[in-house]
Amino acid sequence: MADEDEGNEYRWESGYEKTWEAIKEDDDGLLESNIADLVSRAKRKRAALKATGAIQLGMMRHLFVVVDASACMFLQDLKPTRFLCVLKLLEVFVHEFFDLNPISQLGILTTKMKRSEQVTVLAGNQKKHIEALQQLKDLSCEGEPSLQNSLERAMNGLKNMPVHSSREILVLFGSLTTCDPGDIQKTIKSLKENNIRVSIIGLAAEVRICREIAKKTGGTYNVLIDDHHLKELILNQVQPPAVAGSMEASLVKMGFPGGTPSVNDGTSDTSADHAPAYCLCHIESDTSSLMGHNGYNCPQCGSRYCELPVECKQCGLTLVSAPHLARSYHHLFPIKPFIERAQVRETPHCFACAKSFSEADINVYECESCNQIVCLECDLFIRETLHTCPGCASDPITAQMKTN
Amino acid sequence: MKLNVDGLLVYFPYDYIYPEQFSYMLELKRALDAKGHCLLEMPSGTGKTTTLLSLIVAYMKAHPLDLTKLVYCSRTVPEIEKVMEELRKLMNYYEKEMGMEQNILGLALSSRKNLCIHPSVSKEREGKVVDGRCYSLTASFVRARHAADDAIPICEFYEGFDAHGKEFPLPPGVYNLDDLKEYGQMKGWCPYFLARYTITHANIVVYSYHYLLDPKIAEVVSKEITKTSVVVFDEAHNIDNVCIDSMSVKITKRLLDKCSNSIQLLETTISNMKENDSKRLEKEYKRLVEGLRDATIARETDMALVNPVLPSEVLEEAVPGTIRTAEHFVAFLKRVVEYVKTRLRVQHVVQESPAGFLRDIHTKVCIDRKPLRFTAERLASLIRTLEISDLTDFSPLVTVSHFATLVSTYTKGFTIIIEPFEDRAPTVSNPILYFSCLDSSIAIKPVFNRFQTVVITSGTLSPLDMYPKILDFHPVIMTSFTMTLARPCILPMIVSKGNDQVAMSSRYETREDTAVIRNYGNLLVEIAAAVPDGIVCFFTSYLYLETIVSSWYDQGIIDQLQRHKLLFIETQDAAETSLALINYIKACDNGRGAVLLSVARGKVSEGIDFDHHLGRAVLMFGIPYVYTQSRILRARLEYLRDQFQIRENDFLTFDAMRHAAQCLGRCMRGKTDYGIMVLADKRFSRADKRSKLPKWIQEHLKDTNCNLSTEECVQTCKRWLRQMAQPFSREDQLGISLLTLEQLQSEEMQKKIQQRAQGI
Repeated sequence: MADEDEGNEYRWESGYEKTWEAIKEDDDGLLESNIADLVSRAKRKRAALKATGAIQLGMMRHLFVVVDASACMFLQDLKPTRFLCVLKLLEVFVHEFFDLNPISQLGILTTKMKRSEQVTVLAGNQKKHIEALQQLKDLSCEGEPSLQNSLERAMNGLKNMPVHSSREILVLFGSLTTCDPGDIQKTIKSLKENNIRVSIIGLAAEVRICREIAKKTGGTYNVLIDDHHLKELILNQVQPPAVAGSMEASLVKMGFPGGTPSVNDGTSDTSADHAPAYCLCHIESDTSSLMGHNGYNCPQCGSRYCELPVECKQCGLTLVSAPHLARSYHHLFPIKPFIERAQVRETPHCFACAKSFSEADINVYECESCNQIVCLECDLFIRETLHTCPGCASDPITAQMKTN
Repeated sequence: MKLNVDGLLVYFPYDYIYPEQFSYMLELKRALDAKGHCLLEMPSGTGKTTTLLSLIVAYMKAHPLDLTKLVYCSRTVPEIEKVMEELRKLMNYYEKEMGMEQNILGLALSSRKNLCIHPSVSKEREGKVVDGRCYSLTASFVRARHAADDAIPICEFYEGFDAHGKEFPLPPGVYNLDDLKEYGQMKGWCPYFLARYTITHANIVVYSYHYLLDPKIAEVVSKEITKTSVVVFDEAHNIDNVCIDSMSVKITKRLLDKCSNSIQLLETTISNMKENDSKRLEKEYKRLVEGLRDATIARETDMALVNPVLPSEVLEEAVPGTIRTAEHFVAFLKRVVEYVKTRLRVQHVVQESPAGFLRDIHTKVCIDRKPLRFTAERLASLIRTLEISDLTDFSPLVTVSHFATLVSTYTKGFTIIIEPFEDRAPTVSNPILYFSCLDSSIAIKPVFNRFQTVVITSGTLSPLDMYPKILDFHPVIMTSFTMTLARPCILPMIVSKGNDQVAMSSRYETREDTAVIRNYGNLLVEIAAAVPDGIVCFFTSYLYLETIVSSWYDQGIIDQLQRHKLLFIETQDAAETSLALINYIKACDNGRGAVLLSVARGKVSEGIDFDHHLGRAVLMFGIPYVYTQSRILRARLEYLRDQFQIRENDFLTFDAMRHAAQCLGRCMRGKTDYGIMVLADKRFSRADKRSKLPKWIQEHLKDTNCNLSTEECVQTCKRWLRQMAQPFSREDQLGISLLTLEQLQSEEMQKKIQQRAQGI
């Protein structure tokens, strides 16, 4: 187990550990190091799978996050409790989600006492979600969760979304049991009919029904090992998934509201755009109803919003700005996967992070186009975060070609 | 793929092979080469059946003179069907590879009940009734009567078989029960008699244990099987009990009352016949003077009643004069029944040897040993002569006749116990006479003597050295294989104390202790909170299960448990239990999760698999010792001690541990499966118990997991479950626990396999 990097907690706070077992020699291929190996291999496999271009990605996503709030979420195997840990990671997730999927929408549900409750409705405003998540921290966790109820509720919210969007549910499930009012198989069937993809992250152990739901609806099911792994699993969900077969490609009508008055290039701006007006994001909350000059006006109906991206409340038009679309762009043209090679003497260090290879790095990774060698960590980092090969980017010729 | 097993070309019908399967083949081949018996233990879910079949079929093809037949004995009909499916796969593979039809005939045999296609008889539910009705349609005298009078019903399917079936043997192929029925329907032949007839020339026969071990049936069915056969007993961990049961008789008061009725029936029939057809009785008398043997030649359908003793013990003599005439014999039977009745009128428990019984019967009612020995044969002959076609009413009398024959034939290895009441209800008079076989080697001895190779195999045979002792044979090979695994997918743990450090044990002295019961309850609750889906718990007895559940109820543990999972309990009622099982599976499938409380040695512990999510954890509360106060058991223990030098405690521990292993093995049915095994008793950690677990469990039972408290156990579970939930695919297994042909042939792997084969 990776104990070393858990510097932020005291040893006695963590679970029961048998440290003498961790250092045991692994000669029969049966101990934990083997499992760590399995995990890292699976990681790369996932990354490689994503990178095999030419698949259609659902960039416009509608996602419901279901958070388990049953009694078992008070357990302390994740610090400080499972619930708080999950909420904190979700904040990161929401942020990253809108960063990478600017034209998508998200909603949050909780489930406890055999019921499901809506925390936020589907919306594209990340601030609102993060606020809601912070308020959730005071929620008491009790009773049993109900998978069926929360899936049904999420499904009702997703059913009416346009066909070209990718409909998804992400469940963070801590409990090992679900208390349902009816036959969950029927729910799974209608989820499938509605093309809703359910991904589940288990916090304790493999529950068969979760695996079945994920498998039947085309989602993923993973169980964490520790909190680092959990973060990774949650952030994996940020990447838009490949489109499930039947979704048709279609043109989507979008609005690009004009810029702010300070940048007065005067193309589409009229004076009405900058007249003082209530923005529609805050019009409902009477405390902070700001009347201002700044904001984005819907090009179709003229409603004012102080933030983008957003779906116009008046006319339903998706309002985005050009950089948002550009940020989604790299999903469509991922870099090619690096080739796994055995470590060789000639390149003693990683091109990206300049770390010299040690005995532990059995495999290194080579970029196809620039032939630079990087380590496993850099390989994953490039693939998941950077989306551009440092070797190719630093080479002026290839970099030129790419921009052209 | 095609394998080279020690110079033998083996066709294996799969693309991948487990390393232990290859080792198994090596050992099996050695046993076949040596023409000796062997004892092989390999965990369930590692493909024992297909391994056995592919090696033996390959051996038969390579050495057609040395090995002519495979007799595969399994326990239940579904298991027989599974074997047939594997065989079919193998044969299809042979055909594909060699490009031609194979000249191998394999078939399954079961009782009439499972094979009958007669439109009305096959509707009967009970096996005995089907047998009886079949007899009434196919017995030779019925058929003779039919020839004279068309109104007497006979079975047209049997007639069809009798007319043509013997001339046209079954074409080569694999026939399971349904195939046989279909073939029978098509040809209009009786599938049961067709199968029985075909046994003699089939290459592979799959049937139940009893066809070989129970002398009553073996005599009829398996007589013709050649010596150059290999006999396989699969799931043979209880084979000694099967042997004993097949030779034991239990007589109750009610049974004797029914006997009197049937004797009366016999009397009236005899007097009727005397008036109408006295010739027939005379004929029988003459025949008996000459001896019984030749009388029944070529009358297969008449063999409904047979001698319960082993073929070698049957006397090749004429029936003694005292019971030759029908009236004398009936009077004789009456005396025997009355005598047994008086013996049942006891106030205290009586235990005596067969010799003592014989002396007593001689002094009290003047019955000699010799006529007693012929009781069974004589009764069969009489019933045949009287042309009684409905046999179902006579089964009590038949039981008594078996008893009489057995008690006078065997003086060693048997005991007679007469109990006036059950131990649980000492006030209710319910006298029972047990004629109990103590020596399991008696029934199986002819099998060992007759066939060149007998393979005894199961997932749990440990400790291996006990079986040769109690079955009294000398195996040439005795090996236990472990499971090679790419990840540690079983987690055996011995939990010896609760969180309050009170030791947990099902010992008789601490059984009623509330602290122990509470600790058991807490263990279950905490495990239920940490383990997903299904959990199966085993208790040592129904009685113990009941007391524990009622005190858990008082302590509020049941309520706590139901917060996590639903609760199901096995009872002695079979219908109730199967209902509980169905709902248990439903609860696991729906994600609600469930706990099943059941009993070691019960229906659930034998033969029901809890694979994958149905059994993520098995808890064994206490050591499942057999009920040691039972007199039959004590007599057996004494016998084992005197005859085989097996100490009582050794045998009890052996018996308890094999049942514990059997229970634990329920949750592990393959390499992709995973499961927790919790042994909740302090005594499990002692070396004498631990070392008796199967090797594949012992291998994963680390020293650090041998003396855990509840809390430690739950923590270990949690971490392990998370590891096991990580994605695991076939690629991860390849090369370690799953081999392609190239990998198998690599030198390194060959070396490892050789080591494993010799390591024991």
